[in-house]
Amino acid sequence: MSAVIQPRKAQYVVCDGNEAAALAVALARVDMVAVYPITPQSSLVEYLAKFVADGKLAAELVDVEGEHSVLSVLQGAALAGARTYTATCGPGLAFMFEPYIRTPGLRLPLVMSIVTRDTLSPQSVWGGHQDAMSVREAGWIQMYCESVQEVLDTVVMAYRIAEDHNVMLPVNVCHDGNYLSYGSTRIELPAQDAVDTFLGTPDVNWHAALDPLRPMAIDPLTGGAGGVGPALFVGYRKGQCAGMHNALEAITATHQEWGRITGRQHAPLIEEYRMDGAEFAILTLGSMTGAGKDAIDEARTRGLAVGLVKVKTYRPFPVAALAAALNDVKAIGVVDRSVDFGWNCGPLYRDTLSALHHVAAPIRSQSFIGGLAGADITVEDFGRVIETTSALVRGAGGATIWINDKDRAPA
Amino acid sequence: MPGYSTIAFNPDLCDGCGECMTVCALATTGSTAHARARLQIVPGDEEGRFELALCRQCGDPRCVANCPAAALTKNATTGVIDWDGDKCVDCLLCTVGCMYGGIALDPQAHRVAKCDMCGGDPACTRVCAPGALKHVTTARIYNEVGDLEDLFVPGLSGCQGCNTELLMRHTMRRIGPDSIVAAPPGCVPGMGAVGYNGLTGTKVPVFHPLLTNTASMLPGIKRFYKRRGRDVTAVALAGDGGASDVGFQSLSGAAERGEEILFIVIDNEGYMNTGMQRSSCTPYGAWTTTTPVGRESMGKTQDAKNLPLLMVAHRCAYVATASTAFMEDFYAKLDRALQASKRGFAYLHVYSPCTTGWRFPAEKNIEIARKAVETNFVMLWEYAPSTGLKLTRSVDEPAPLADYLQALGKYRHLAPEQVEHIERHIQDDVARIKQYSVAAAAASARVG
Repeated sequence: MSAVIQPRKAQYVVCDGNEAAALAVALARVDMVAVYPITPQSSLVEYLAKFVADGKLAAELVDVEGEHSVLSVLQGAALAGARTYTATCGPGLAFMFEPYIRTPGLRLPLVMSIVTRDTLSPQSVWGGHQDAMSVREAGWIQMYCESVQEVLDTVVMAYRIAEDHNVMLPVNVCHDGNYLSYGSTRIELPAQDAVDTFLGTPDVNWHAALDPLRPMAIDPLTGGAGGVGPALFVGYRKGQCAGMHNALEAITATHQEWGRITGRQHAPLIEEYRMDGAEFAILTLGSMTGAGKDAIDEARTRGLAVGLVKVKTYRPFPVAALAAALNDVKAIGVVDRSVDFGWNCGPLYRDTLSALHHVAAPIRSQSFIGGLAGADITVEDFGRVIETTSALVRGAGGATIWINDKDRAPA
Repeated sequence: MPGYSTIAFNPDLCDGCGECMTVCALATTGSTAHARARLQIVPGDEEGRFELALCRQCGDPRCVANCPAAALTKNATTGVIDWDGDKCVDCLLCTVGCMYGGIALDPQAHRVAKCDMCGGDPACTRVCAPGALKHVTTARIYNEVGDLEDLFVPGLSGCQGCNTELLMRHTMRRIGPDSIVAAPPGCVPGMGAVGYNGLTGTKVPVFHPLLTNTASMLPGIKRFYKRRGRDVTAVALAGDGGASDVGFQSLSGAAERGEEILFIVIDNEGYMNTGMQRSSCTPYGAWTTTTPVGRESMGKTQDAKNLPLLMVAHRCAYVATASTAFMEDFYAKLDRALQASKRGFAYLHVYSPCTTGWRFPAEKNIEIARKAVETNFVMLWEYAPSTGLKLTRSVDEPAPLADYLQALGKYRHLAPEQVEHIERHIQDDVARIKQYSVAAAAASARVG
């Protein structure tokens, strides 16, 4: 179905995550959208094209010849002053990498959905976080969504975060391929005027513009070993780090403001679920969290003191929030949908261990990897994760546990 | 510097017919007596060869310096040396100063007479059937663009005698300040156009795209300004390597979509800025640092990709080849490309000999560029969808290819069979371009 945005009235619609993202783009009154289709993102850009064709989204739609140009068109547009959007995943994200890694350094507040997909090879078209995880150190803000509603809300919020003058960094809103891209549910669509007030007028090139009325050179050669080069380069890099640091506050404030307007208070950095008195905790990322919460409820009824921490903002990594949330637990089990090669564990697992360096008492830990290439992490799987982590409280963790390695279709 | 306008003489082509003197005398005196003509074709030292006595409209004229009455003045606008009969005291000192026999006593009028360029359209050059007399009108360009601001700062750090620097300064003067320049990695930013450590060499908005995405960043900019109702020219000053190799995908995509940008490729036949490596525009046989000359192979073993013809296949709004040795042709094409970029993708391919990478003395740059065209190594043509492809300079009777190849260090090693290969390749190219241009002419005749 294709929803109609109301100017002054919130309404309920049924849609999948890809349409929710497209609706958010329409609500954000984006100026320019560049698209190139790729599974499982394709229906998202088809919705955008239809919205433009139907006059629901007054954006310039550029159907380019590949993801590399997708981001390049948007970089040019942003330097001219446009609010921009695109979406990609997997091989498309890999092809986009050259302009992708440049975007944060140009401090362009682009918003791009990653409809997460596992990377090649093995050849695969299904969900997994390996694509987004592979670019986690490129300097983009990364937020992972749990539900279709959170997809819509986060894409809208992403513009306010990215365009915050203390941030000025591009944002990836990650929603899981298959589970969120195609999973339909009822969501609330905010009124257009509420979003207009929330986002304000785009002001994206106040710092760096390609405009004959404000002539300047964008990106002269910088650095080297002599003159002012080294200090200039370090200055730019420190600025990027400051933007990342400031993003923690901007993300928090933006979520609070959005909650005030819509009544939906999504956790900005991490969500703590039934962590009161928890002796140990499970950590999740993205759409798997729903099954994780069900398993926690079940374990609590059995008397296990277990809670769950969902990480929404992965970059910048919420070190302080995570350290505070896990300060009193004795063990953690971290479930990843991707692999940190070289460490042979999950990336969230490794980042969490780094954050726990700030916690006084040592915490036992176990890495779980599941949900690769579309595999389902069920409530039963989480039950086993909880059991294993529970045992850690009194024993040591072991090598990474692969959740779906014995999955077989029923005969 | 005053404007420059003169009549050039090629003694190799003159057959001594005298038509020029007839029309000159008629135009200036009403008689057809050769003696009264202001140019004189006279027998040379060699049998069957001729010399020309005619005012060359010198830049630093002796006649003007010698004149005690200020009757002769160099006209800064037209470039012509004007003679004022009211001031002339008939002393004939001017005739003593001139080494070209350009000012002489008119036997009938008993006063000096000299060429006045017929007010800008000389009669003699129009009737010269063999083409020995040519009206050189560089002054037209100068007068049109001389007052325009150079949009690059002085002191760009290009190699001595850099052709690319010459080209980009001319180009941006003409395009003007309501523009945005994309300078992908290569010689253009290499000489400081985008700048270093916070300083820039360009007076209009300029940026470093990636080597790969010039043709996709520019449309993002252009489309946004168009949405906002602002007329901004988005222009790329790209090298052949980025355009024909790693940036070809985005170039092809932008051309297919008809993005309203002006994409100029400055073709120096390789990656000259990074140290002279081969690109797909490097010609067969050429030495580069990645196609070295050795025992097993000598230079590049493949022919160059014909990028401008590939752009014709995209049916761009305008495609043309040009050379800095033919500036009038270049300016005319730049103007048409600019116009075309208001309605679609405009592509200009300019051959730019590289003194450093091609191994020839810096002062020979324009000479090399000219030889490339005169030998058909490079052909000058233009294409628009409505008119098809047409040559803007004849490819008939080319100069010997050796004139060009022997002038360049990068071809010094060529074996005779390699030269033959290049000759065959040029003949094929000439035949193909002619075929296209004949087909276009026939098509337009049918439509007309």
